[in-house]
Amino acid sequence: MSKITKTMTEQETRKDRFRILVSIDGSEEAYQSLRYAAKMGHGVDADIVLLYVRPIDQGLRSGGLQVRIARENMLDWGLELPGIKYLKKGYEILLDMGAAGDDWHEHNYHYNVDGDPLGDNKIEYINKEGKVIVLKLKVATDIATGILEQWELGPYDLIILSASGRSRGIAKNLWDPAVAEKVATHAQCSVLVARELDIGHGHLICTDGSEKSLETVRKDAYLASRCECPVSIISVALDVESKEEAKTFVETARKELAAMDIKVVNAIACVGTPVDKIIDAGTDYSVIVLSDSGKKGLKRLLLGSVATKVLQEAYTSVMVVR
Amino acid sequence: MFNPRSTKDPLEKRLKLRRLRVMSGFSPDLFREKAVAVGSHLNLIYFWDKKWFYVAMLVGTLMLQLPLPDGLSQEGLVVLTMSVVATILFVTEPVPLPTVALMIICAQVLLLGIDSTNVAKSLMTDSVLFIMGSLMLAVAVVKQKLDKRIAWWLVRITGTRTSRICFGISVTSGLLASFIGEHTVAAMMLPVGITLITLTSDDPKKVRNLAAVLLLSIAYGCSIAGIGTPSGGARNAIMIGYWKEFFFDPTNSETYRFIIDYMKWMMFAYPIFLLQLPFVTFILFKTFRPEYQDMSRAVVKLRAQVEKEGAMKRADWMAIFLFFLILIGWITVSSNIGMGTVAVLGAAAFLIAGLVRWEDINSGVNWGVVLLYAAAISLGVEMKDSGAALWVAEHFLALLAPLGADEGFGLWAAVSALTTIVTNTMSNGAAVAVLGPIVLKVAVAAQESPIIIGFITAISSAFAYLTVVGTPACTIVYASGYLKTTDFLNVGWKMVLFSTILMLLIATVYWPFLGV
Repeated sequence: MSKITKTMTEQETRKDRFRILVSIDGSEEAYQSLRYAAKMGHGVDADIVLLYVRPIDQGLRSGGLQVRIARENMLDWGLELPGIKYLKKGYEILLDMGAAGDDWHEHNYHYNVDGDPLGDNKIEYINKEGKVIVLKLKVATDIATGILEQWELGPYDLIILSASGRSRGIAKNLWDPAVAEKVATHAQCSVLVARELDIGHGHLICTDGSEKSLETVRKDAYLASRCECPVSIISVALDVESKEEAKTFVETARKELAAMDIKVVNAIACVGTPVDKIIDAGTDYSVIVLSDSGKKGLKRLLLGSVATKVLQEAYTSVMVVR
Repeated sequence: MFNPRSTKDPLEKRLKLRRLRVMSGFSPDLFREKAVAVGSHLNLIYFWDKKWFYVAMLVGTLMLQLPLPDGLSQEGLVVLTMSVVATILFVTEPVPLPTVALMIICAQVLLLGIDSTNVAKSLMTDSVLFIMGSLMLAVAVVKQKLDKRIAWWLVRITGTRTSRICFGISVTSGLLASFIGEHTVAAMMLPVGITLITLTSDDPKKVRNLAAVLLLSIAYGCSIAGIGTPSGGARNAIMIGYWKEFFFDPTNSETYRFIIDYMKWMMFAYPIFLLQLPFVTFILFKTFRPEYQDMSRAVVKLRAQVEKEGAMKRADWMAIFLFFLILIGWITVSSNIGMGTVAVLGAAAFLIAGLVRWEDINSGVNWGVVLLYAAAISLGVEMKDSGAALWVAEHFLALLAPLGADEGFGLWAAVSALTTIVTNTMSNGAAVAVLGPIVLKVAVAAQESPIIIGFITAISSAFAYLTVVGTPACTIVYASGYLKTTDFLNVGWKMVLFSTILMLLIATVYWPFLGV
């Protein structure tokens, strides 16, 4: 009983905090997005969670001998299991950037998980003002599932994970959707898919005049001001006649931002195929910001959305805001 | 301006962010509402996750509606449909694989109308017992912690040159794996490889190629050895089971040659393994040029580490003695009492001697795999009984005829290529279980020796060097986190090419001497 109330109050207090989940897979790309996360989450009201997901074998791939036997053997030799090293490196980066300190309180947690000798492990660093940095080693059937399960323990405001390259064609995607895409589709919070995520070049917010996209504008205004990134707006008209309309969309968004005391650097209204135009314009920015697809249910599955296509094909990082 | 070194913000800025958070709709209440709204269409996404399951079911339903093709009975069509559906599920894995086994069992009763007691009986055969016993033995052997002894012997013999160490690792892994199973040895040797890597350098970037060479020496050493004896891998036992099930007739002494025992298998396959050994190191060194030619520092440290273990204990000798007894049992008496019986007896002996706890065996063996092989073999036998295997085999041959690959060497190469493709997409045991009935019937229809075609299939199923999922040894080594999937591709294709050529050569030159 007390445990349940504790987690509930824990989740309740977390709602006021800005919580970022960064997926670490040992790649340089992931550490770069961690630096971005550190910048976004540098205030005392923000928490950063570093997550490494270790997949376990559930099928017959290891020939009927559980992978845990091999991992137990590694532990017997005093070897570290994969992931621990990556998380430690991530923490060192945060220390270097001053986003974490040596004087923070450290708590260790451990949960047993079937199929892995080490189970789930969590190291929590808390400073005096209550800011939390967590290193979490999680066991899951696959990486995307692990990230989504971690979200459920959350809640989180933003998930950052690195993309595994650009789109690999429809057939390949149907076969084995990339982790980033799966998380971006299923997660219920904003997801930033990082591709060479640099800090300097600002956000490009896409708007189509809908209430939903205005909500995105407002939300990203908050996210962008967290990392003090400049904000630009783009709206794409399908044909020349509706270009005026696109201009008014941009104007509305600008007003919305002005009300929040945020200046817009570039306001773009152009004509063409939305996906292509957004991707082209996006090359000048750090992040393209999109609303989650307006479509729901079956339509979403069959038709896809601008957000999904941009996510697959863009050259820069893409953030889907929810 | 933004100062990354400070986590303390001016109050003003903090208040501004707080205000923005509320304005932007990040406030808690909105958050909760949104979660509920999204939840309503979540079901569809979960449906999408399992899309391949529905695709498989749809394919199955459509196939059952088809008019009966010439030469195929209604029963044959049902069994063929079950095989196709099972194959789609094996490859795409939308549901946990043991589920497929459960579905095969149900479908045999519900769609084919076979009595459920008979279905249950068809699940357990000597091959399945052998797979189960070998897995229990595998856990028992890994738990003996003999790996440090092996490492000690290894570095004493090989010295400190990287190439010699890698060759030594391949030979040791291979010789052991050929008798106690590739997954067992991969699990045992993995810490040896990683210890050598970490003792050489802490920075993974400096030892990338060295890591690839060392770990792939283990993985490929084990994989090529898995074909050597029936206990090398589950697929071998499956093929032995098929030969007996398909061709053996107790009343006809002509068919006794289809009983392949432990020794006979070794005579066919062991030379292929031995010939491949030197080339593994050669190919790996040509592909990845390791950063260090000499590993004296790491070897000295490793020696110090393993010497702490002290002298061999009585339990260690006991374990080795027991294993030799099992091996002798397989070689001498398995043709009379069955290889499965020997394996199970061995597992029992380890438990009686107190060398392994049942709890360790219970958590170390993936029992679902035993169930899966049981169901797959049962389905394979059904493929034969219903005539579906023969029907597919005839069509497969007709397809190959224009290429001139419907007999002799061409057919061997075609069967080997087919198996290699299939085995790279699913586990090699499953590949043999699915392909076995078809290729054996192909052999019959083409008037080739089912034994040669069977061996070619079983051995080619080990050529899954390209992907992580292909062989158990690759999966286990990959689970260490030191390799990339592309490493397997880079070197794998050379291994596939070389192994295929070597096997076909042996099949042409050497096997005829064995009288098949």
